[in-house]
Amino acid sequence: MKTHLLKLYMSELRNRRKKTALITFAIGWGALSLLLLMSFGRGMSETFSASFKGLGDNILIVYGGQTSKIHQGLPKGRRIRLYPEDVDLLRSRIPEIAEITPESFSRFEMRNGDRAVNRNVNGVNPCFGFMRNQIPQAGGRFVNDLDIDGSRRVVFLGWKVAEELFGDENPVGRRISLQRVPFTVIGVMKRKLQSSAYEGMDSDQVYIPFTTFLNLYSQRFVDRIHIQPEKREQSKWLEAEIRRVLGRKYRFDPKDEYANQIWNTVEGAEMSGKVFKGIEIFLAIIGGLTLLIGAVGVTNLMYAVVKERTREIGVKMALGAKRRHIVYQFLLEAMMIFVKGTMWGGLVAFNIVALVRMLPISYDVEGIAGYLLRPRFSADIFLLFVTVMGILVFMSGIFPALRASRLNPVDALRYE
Amino acid sequence: MIQLNDIRKVYQMGKLPFEALKGIDLTIESGEFVAVMGPSGSGKSTLMNIIGCLDTASSGEYHLDERNVAGLSFDQLSQVRNRKIGFVFQNFNLLPYATSFENVELPLLFNGKSAKQRKERVRELLDKVGLWEWHRHRPTELSGGQQQRIAIARALVNEPPILLADEPTGNLDSNSGREIMEIFQGLWEAGKTVIMVTHDNTVAGYAKRIVRLLDGRVENGRKSA
Repeated sequence: MKTHLLKLYMSELRNRRKKTALITFAIGWGALSLLLLMSFGRGMSETFSASFKGLGDNILIVYGGQTSKIHQGLPKGRRIRLYPEDVDLLRSRIPEIAEITPESFSRFEMRNGDRAVNRNVNGVNPCFGFMRNQIPQAGGRFVNDLDIDGSRRVVFLGWKVAEELFGDENPVGRRISLQRVPFTVIGVMKRKLQSSAYEGMDSDQVYIPFTTFLNLYSQRFVDRIHIQPEKREQSKWLEAEIRRVLGRKYRFDPKDEYANQIWNTVEGAEMSGKVFKGIEIFLAIIGGLTLLIGAVGVTNLMYAVVKERTREIGVKMALGAKRRHIVYQFLLEAMMIFVKGTMWGGLVAFNIVALVRMLPISYDVEGIAGYLLRPRFSADIFLLFVTVMGILVFMSGIFPALRASRLNPVDALRYE
Repeated sequence: MIQLNDIRKVYQMGKLPFEALKGIDLTIESGEFVAVMGPSGSGKSTLMNIIGCLDTASSGEYHLDERNVAGLSFDQLSQVRNRKIGFVFQNFNLLPYATSFENVELPLLFNGKSAKQRKERVRELLDKVGLWEWHRHRPTELSGGQQQRIAIARALVNEPPILLADEPTGNLDSNSGREIMEIFQGLWEAGKTVIMVTHDNTVAGYAKRIVRLLDGRVENGRKSA
């Protein structure tokens, strides 16, 4: 479009601001609904994904089990247990394993003075901390290699256990007793969202070095082995590899899923990720339909405008306006209504999102608030929004504009 | 030069065809001052619309400066109207929300002139009709005579050789009417072809030739051809 015509169109627009106010409002409302629904949908999906990763992002949890198939002449129902040396075996046989750690647990009384609780004590290696997204609060740390080498009696506390034993005090550096054996607290877990667990939430657990666990407690086998593959896509393949290696050692069928149970969090995350993506899309469609109602309003208005200004169109044609001059004018008008409506709709939506995010919601809330009240405005939402808008502007402006441009100059001039 | 050969125009009035022009043969040389007269319903407006390329004939040939207008597309006709023909209407047809300046500027915009050229041309034309000091005013703030002078400035801004006026004094008092006609007189003297529709004999008196229409036919058309 030639820029010099813009000036003309703009001065025409200014004169109809009042008439377009209501429809601008409708478009703004549509934009607001669409953006809010999409942001809240995205927030829900993100909270979910965060809480799912709370258990651990991209990990396989390997258990023992009972055979369910006859293999090499051995009967069904044999008990398969994992032992500490299996960790080294798996690591040496499967180079695609990025991180691996055993985990054994026992339920003990733990005590700080006269405050006592019964909680799970887990023996783990240092990589367990980041595999399970267990980040120490400021001033503390997780179990490290020196703790392992020296079988030190140090303990890392879940934040709920820390609260129960120490209240508001800082537990780091303090002593507690586990089953009457003194331990030094080295760190407290930062709060995190967690949606799934096996022996209770991480917030209720305490962690000590695996070597310490073996020395103090007489359990020979390990309860679980945590494995993180180098690449997310390897998780399914890795499951089979683990069963193959352990199956050879313990003589069970590598296809026997009960002999050697594996919890593949990658798969679970993918499944639920799809569900939430679906919800997000559903919300976007609802928002889009709301916006569509506004767009129909704009089309309607534009038809009315064309009718109202038929005579002017005739005059312009008489003075030499070409078809495209007329088309541009009405398209531009439709666009301006959209731009204005969207601007305030977007602005309001953005502020609502920002305000809601400021609400003091505790991060360990597992309830509905954590899912509903974490809206999120992101670039791809905005991009999608702009695309949908662009299409709607075009659709709602082009038909009235074409009708205007096809008027016969004489008829248009005579129109009263 | 305008050359019409056996121009017919048929309107569909409901189911019945109505023939507004029943074979017009008319030649208007460059630089003529012509008044088209006739009772209402005689087809004079239809004829003007066809000459002005606002409408197309049902049959017959129309040559404008040797060019057959019949085969032109909408945009080509727009260009002809923009460059060759200036329109002056009975009811002025100024854009109500635009200033005098913007109204006069309009044909230049459709002609793709630069801002500088537009400003110079508009100023020149508004000076010519004596209304430069009103260039920021809107039509509603002007008298009828002033509005028609703005309309004339607008018609002339692209320097078209032909000026078409449909009852240009029809909505004006006699004083304003006279002023407008004097402007037309001046334009004709300056070499423009002026064609106007009127049923006012005083106004027609300015013209050098009168074409009388009756029932879609020219009563005296061949006279000067």
